[in-house]
Amino acid sequence: MNAFARYIRGRVTVLAALLLLVSASGAWAQIDGLTGTFFNFTAKSGHIITPDAASMMIWGYADDSTGQVQIPGPTLIVNQGDTITITLNNTLPEPVSIVFPGQQVTASGGAPGLLTQQVPGNDNGANPVTYTFTVNEPGTYTYFSGSHSDLQVEMGLYGALIVRPAVQDLAACSQYTQSAYGDCRSAYDYEFLILQSEMDMDIHQQVELSMIAHPTLPPAIDTAAYHPTIWFLNGRPGPDVLAEAGAAWLPAQPYNCLPRGNPGKRVLARMIGAGRDSHPFHTHGNNFDLIARDGRLLESAPGASKAATEVGVVPDLAVSDYTQTTSPGATFDTIYTWTGQDLGFDIYGTADAHTCSDPACPDANNDGFNDGDPTIACWDADTYEYCPDHGKPLPVVLPDIKDLAFGMFYSGSAFLGGTGVLPPGEGGFNLNNGYFHIWHSHNERELTNNDIFPGGMMTFFIVEPPGIEIQ
Amino acid sequence: MIRLIKPFRILPLLVLLILSGAYSAEAKVYFQCPTLPGGSLNADSNGDGMLRADDGEINLPVSEHEVCMHLSSGDGFVNMADKVLDPDGDGNGHLQYTFGFSNLTGVPDSLAMETGMVAANFPAPTIRVREGDEFYLTLTNVGMMLRPDLFDPHTVHFHGFPNASAIFDGVPDDSIAINMGSSFTYYYKIMDAGTYMYHCHVEAAEHMQMGMLGNLYVDPAQDGTDYEYPVGSGRHFTQFAYDDGDGSTGYNHLYPLQISSFDPNFHDMHISVQPLPFAFMTDQYPMINGRGYPDTMNPAELANSFDGKTSQKVNSIITAAQGERILLRVSSLVTTNFNTLTVQGIPMLVVGNGARKLGPLNDTSQYYLTNSISLGGGEAMDIILDTNGPDGIAGNADDIAPGTYFLYATNADHLANNNEDYGGMMTEIQISAAP
Repeated sequence: MNAFARYIRGRVTVLAALLLLVSASGAWAQIDGLTGTFFNFTAKSGHIITPDAASMMIWGYADDSTGQVQIPGPTLIVNQGDTITITLNNTLPEPVSIVFPGQQVTASGGAPGLLTQQVPGNDNGANPVTYTFTVNEPGTYTYFSGSHSDLQVEMGLYGALIVRPAVQDLAACSQYTQSAYGDCRSAYDYEFLILQSEMDMDIHQQVELSMIAHPTLPPAIDTAAYHPTIWFLNGRPGPDVLAEAGAAWLPAQPYNCLPRGNPGKRVLARMIGAGRDSHPFHTHGNNFDLIARDGRLLESAPGASKAATEVGVVPDLAVSDYTQTTSPGATFDTIYTWTGQDLGFDIYGTADAHTCSDPACPDANNDGFNDGDPTIACWDADTYEYCPDHGKPLPVVLPDIKDLAFGMFYSGSAFLGGTGVLPPGEGGFNLNNGYFHIWHSHNERELTNNDIFPGGMMTFFIVEPPGIEIQ
Repeated sequence: MIRLIKPFRILPLLVLLILSGAYSAEAKVYFQCPTLPGGSLNADSNGDGMLRADDGEINLPVSEHEVCMHLSSGDGFVNMADKVLDPDGDGNGHLQYTFGFSNLTGVPDSLAMETGMVAANFPAPTIRVREGDEFYLTLTNVGMMLRPDLFDPHTVHFHGFPNASAIFDGVPDDSIAINMGSSFTYYYKIMDAGTYMYHCHVEAAEHMQMGMLGNLYVDPAQDGTDYEYPVGSGRHFTQFAYDDGDGSTGYNHLYPLQISSFDPNFHDMHISVQPLPFAFMTDQYPMINGRGYPDTMNPAELANSFDGKTSQKVNSIITAAQGERILLRVSSLVTTNFNTLTVQGIPMLVVGNGARKLGPLNDTSQYYLTNSISLGGGEAMDIILDTNGPDGIAGNADDIAPGTYFLYATNADHLANNNEDYGGMMTEIQISAAP
């Protein structure tokens, strides 16, 4: 058993049971959050349990309907054209506010702050601030505190804002029912949020000590001596990102981050830089196409499009890459599709009885269509297998299992959906025998939790075999 | 100064390792380079570090474009470029313990273990393949002789490989990794030109900081086709960064430049068998192709001061004559921070990133001129330096004069080899007069 497996088993045996329930439980493959037009938040302090079993104080926005503080703050999922009203209260010992980059906000109540109206410290409901804005453009946005931001963003006062398009013009791509920006260039089968942040645990400890000693005084913290030691996706460090959303033992970290999709499906990953560092986020498995930044499509003119190698129709200025650097306060929408094209062997194995619709499909130009008849796709309609590779055996002999170390997410087979013999205690965390592809910060130092590898800014994209429903 | 284990101590360690049962009974070295019945392997006749059917190095190959390579993974040593300060007091730059790869192609399986032990290169042997290749890459884990307490498996992660399978992606958590004394063969059907990179993905924060990093790039199928670029300029190219359709990524000279950096504290703690400082990993030796300046300009393969083996084989000397174009395939495998590189005096034309040409075929509209590029770990960019200047035409004002130009990190603190200044992430570009 490798170190990662030992680590996870040691930490989250409950997670194992939940992983096995993955296809039966909800909230695994969607963006969780609040919908509507009126929201009531309170900024307050709380604690999270980090994967190295430390208890760390955080500040966060709580949704008043539950009163539960959380990082990130509630993801607001709203509709283009709606007028949004957010009322903020504050129980923290210093003034707090919210800024919404990209929105034209009217703020009232509370007291004037440098960037916007803010709720005084120790206010406890006396002087709430109301922020009102109309969301005119669809896309991915973020929000965070505009008061004492160097400390408050570090403490966890940030969140995501997703604006759904008012009109979905998907007639030309009728296999899709959803899109990020209202047309085929941003259409997707599944969407996920990847909100990235980091924390300096020393700062959090100092804040806690200050609040114990002087509960109503603003903590006097030197945030210049900043050295993050733990990294988060959607408010959780690895491996907690893999547990289900709303897991009972992570009350202040309700969101998970476990992107999944079947072969050939378009997956929208909405990436947000919510902390104060940039991160080079690497997607194993394939390139993605960056289609939008800060809520605007990368297009030279309205509607301009191109056909991307990996994913199909995208805006004409979309950029294909295997690493997306996120920057603080910015958002990045990416489309990712895994097809298995041209692996050079049958991804379902030669022992399996599956067929391919056009096994001889000549495709010298690799456009996925029969060179002799471009109306014939080289992809099987059911399995999404790339037919020119159908029936080709694995080109190499794999070593004896006694010569190998096994990953917990290895199915035991080289083939998608396949199984194989594994030594006792190995594997077992890959319910549907998919391909797990790690998505992680390539500043590898960030794959740690408080000096312990592995963890931090990492998760997996699971290529689930055809027929496995992504909920 | 850390006391290192002397080379003669390695043999007893090896014996101990074998007796301790670290090798299972089935463990074996197995360089897989399949042939049709009756086929055989010839020597690497052209010295490119791999066996290619195209070069007549494989008799009766299973495919027309079969390519085979054999790497070891293990440990070794390199010297940093702080020779003037001489921190170890022996006339060399600081000796760093590393993990890494070395090239075993052509070494008989029976000799692979002893050849690969304590032979890690930094950077790893460069892998250069072509579109259409069927690439069989065998990795033999020779163990870490200087850390006999470790039993780490190793992998190759072909960073950026499109539509990757899990089995050949080299991530230990979702796949399999090879134990000491055994071999695993990766298979890649190479379809897309561009700049990639490779590294070990086992305990990635540790193994990558320790140096298991290398250049990997793919030449396009368009190579060999003649394009005049710019049209009417009279300049013809037959080598390209990508299948561009118009010759716009054509070059005369190609240089892979991989930036990386070492935290000496991390490496010194490692050879001292101490807990490793992940949280406070702080790189102090910024490098290009595994060397700090001025070692980047040393044409020799550098031998380390531990046992005299050549372990830093890649220099970063960039040369061209007026009228020529240079392609830089730049990648970063730094594990701690972002880096910005500039070329003083020569505009940089970015034509690709993430192993993709910018913009569609026959279209240069998304190329851009810049004086700096920024790279986080795991990012790559393709840069054209045109000695005729941005217009590509000789004999006008934007021509680049003969002389020496510098390519360096504008993160000014990266221009040092630890405590020794005037070094670090820098190399020279030498432009000679038109022949």
